[in-house]
Amino acid sequence: MGAVIARRIVGSIGAIFGATVLAFIIMRALPGNPARLIVGPLATPHAVASVRHEIGLDKPIFTQYWLYISHFFEGNWGYSYADGKSVSSLIGERLGATIELALFSFAITMLCAVVFALLVTYRRRPIADRILRGVAYLGFGTPPFFVALILLIVFFKSLHWLPGPEGRLGLQANPPPTVTHLYTIDALIAGKFGTFWSSIEHLILPGIALGLSSFSFIVRLLRANLLEISREPFLTVARGKGLRRWTAFRRHALPNAFLPTLTAGGLVLGEFLAGSVLIERVFNWPGIGSLVFDAIVKQDYAVVQTFILLAAVMFVLVNLIVDLLYAVIDPRVRIPVVATA
Amino acid sequence: MSSGPLILGAEEASSLRPESPLEPSGASVADRARRATRTVIADRKIAVPLGVIVLLVLFAIFVPIFWTYGPNKQDLINSLDAPSFTHPMGTDQLGRDVFARVADGARISLIVATIVTVAGALVGGLIGLLAGTIGGISDGVMMRLMDAILAFPPLILAMAVTVGLGIGLNTAAIGVALVSVPWYARLLRSEALRIRSLPFIEASYAIGMKRSRVISRHVIPHMLPVLFIQMAAAFGYAVLGLASLSFVGLGAQVPTPEWGAMITEGLSYSLTGQWWISIFPGVGLLVTVTAASMLSDRMRDLLDPRGEYARL
Repeated sequence: MGAVIARRIVGSIGAIFGATVLAFIIMRALPGNPARLIVGPLATPHAVASVRHEIGLDKPIFTQYWLYISHFFEGNWGYSYADGKSVSSLIGERLGATIELALFSFAITMLCAVVFALLVTYRRRPIADRILRGVAYLGFGTPPFFVALILLIVFFKSLHWLPGPEGRLGLQANPPPTVTHLYTIDALIAGKFGTFWSSIEHLILPGIALGLSSFSFIVRLLRANLLEISREPFLTVARGKGLRRWTAFRRHALPNAFLPTLTAGGLVLGEFLAGSVLIERVFNWPGIGSLVFDAIVKQDYAVVQTFILLAAVMFVLVNLIVDLLYAVIDPRVRIPVVATA
Repeated sequence: MSSGPLILGAEEASSLRPESPLEPSGASVADRARRATRTVIADRKIAVPLGVIVLLVLFAIFVPIFWTYGPNKQDLINSLDAPSFTHPMGTDQLGRDVFARVADGARISLIVATIVTVAGALVGGLIGLLAGTIGGISDGVMMRLMDAILAFPPLILAMAVTVGLGIGLNTAAIGVALVSVPWYARLLRSEALRIRSLPFIEASYAIGMKRSRVISRHVIPHMLPVLFIQMAAAFGYAVLGLASLSFVGLGAQVPTPEWGAMITEGLSYSLTGQWWISIFPGVGLLVTVTAASMLSDRMRDLLDPRGEYARL
């Protein structure tokens, strides 16, 4: 057990090292001149040279790499060239919005996946099963920004059921006093139910758009697992010993079917990280995704670069946590070979 | 196989298998390839995604040739027209015919995604083959490199590549191809390891075949079904990835009629009522990607030597 954990941790450190090297090569060492990217195509050679010096591009390559990663891990992420603020404060300001959206989306994704997978497997609904599989196919094949667009056209433009792309709250609601940076929870703490409801309303469409592809993946996984496990002999035994069908299902089939979905954790995080860049702009959501989207448009190098490295580190860490959890929960994988996603 | 005590509504696994499963070995390579092709073509369920892709290809080839409007022909008097007989998909804010642009976008997406898929398969397949057959230090080094690529969420690494190499459709294609490489490499490496341990490989060595000949005559042909399945899936991801990068502004630049870029352009008009500018390219994307993933899944049912493996 200890050896497995140690091996996974070492592997993850190696992966993070590899990722920083790769990011360094892509962003710094390849022909596209980062200094030129920063100052823009119209700048004088003098300006390019001074930026080169400033970000250390005239130093030896190993020194450059060392500066690159030491600055990153110290949290010294440089300054946005678009508005002069430090990247860490820009990201800090917007972290709450992105986390709130991601948590909300994750919650509805998992809830819907479990409910629908149960519906089609436990309740034997072949037609619903076909529909669900169709939706899962489409959901996996549709880019999140297109889902966002369709949701907005249907539920905002045509039906007027939900608010349009106006960010986290309606115009009439004021942000609640900051405690957790999550508007829903802060509003509840402050006792403002109108604000709470407004923030929930504003979360629904972006939440669905962000979570649909993860939902499609997880629901297919869960459905396949449930079907497979229901054929296992131990369930026949459980039924034979006199357990009611639902009890056998709940106690023996569900927990086992859930395990493999845990490995989808890394995938879901990856979808959410990339998805936030793709959909936040569509909803004018003031999160990290729209920050990065704007930074790409403005060629704001420091922001994009930080986001990319942060994404890689988070991705590796989540995959590590998933693997370790898996080893803790499932005794069968406490042997040295641990599958990575 | 019984349907189990708890659950009905699951298809019997046997009904998903082809009538005559591919025999693992015994027939000649050409014979097996012919039989595999026949299995795929004769399959009724694969006709739908395959047909859709053929239609898309025809659409992408013939519409730009015969359609009266060019994809970048502006006509400001008739801008933002709703779909009609003259403009089946309407016109955009510059009066360009959306139908012509969607068709041209299909051409771009299909061509670039094909190049990306083939390039990724060649590089990744070669890495996987070398790692799986030669092994040793090269295996370790290459797989660590693949781990470094896999340490990034795929789309974000593709973004990084485009930012680093300079924005454009070509660099976006490089980014998307790079992201797909480790999937091929890992898959084919494990396939190579699996095949290498089969008895007939040992038998080939025993009758005195050289390693290069064993690899080219036995290992590679046995890897092909898995490679093709992966390529079909990767094709869908490539279309999706390219469109996503273009949507963010990293891929195709205006006025290129790339689907993702078209969706961005039409975004602000969608909520004022001119939905057709963004919706039609989006439908094109959805149809292409869904067809590719259905094709890949069905091919897996028919061809994957490992049986029902990972059929989600």
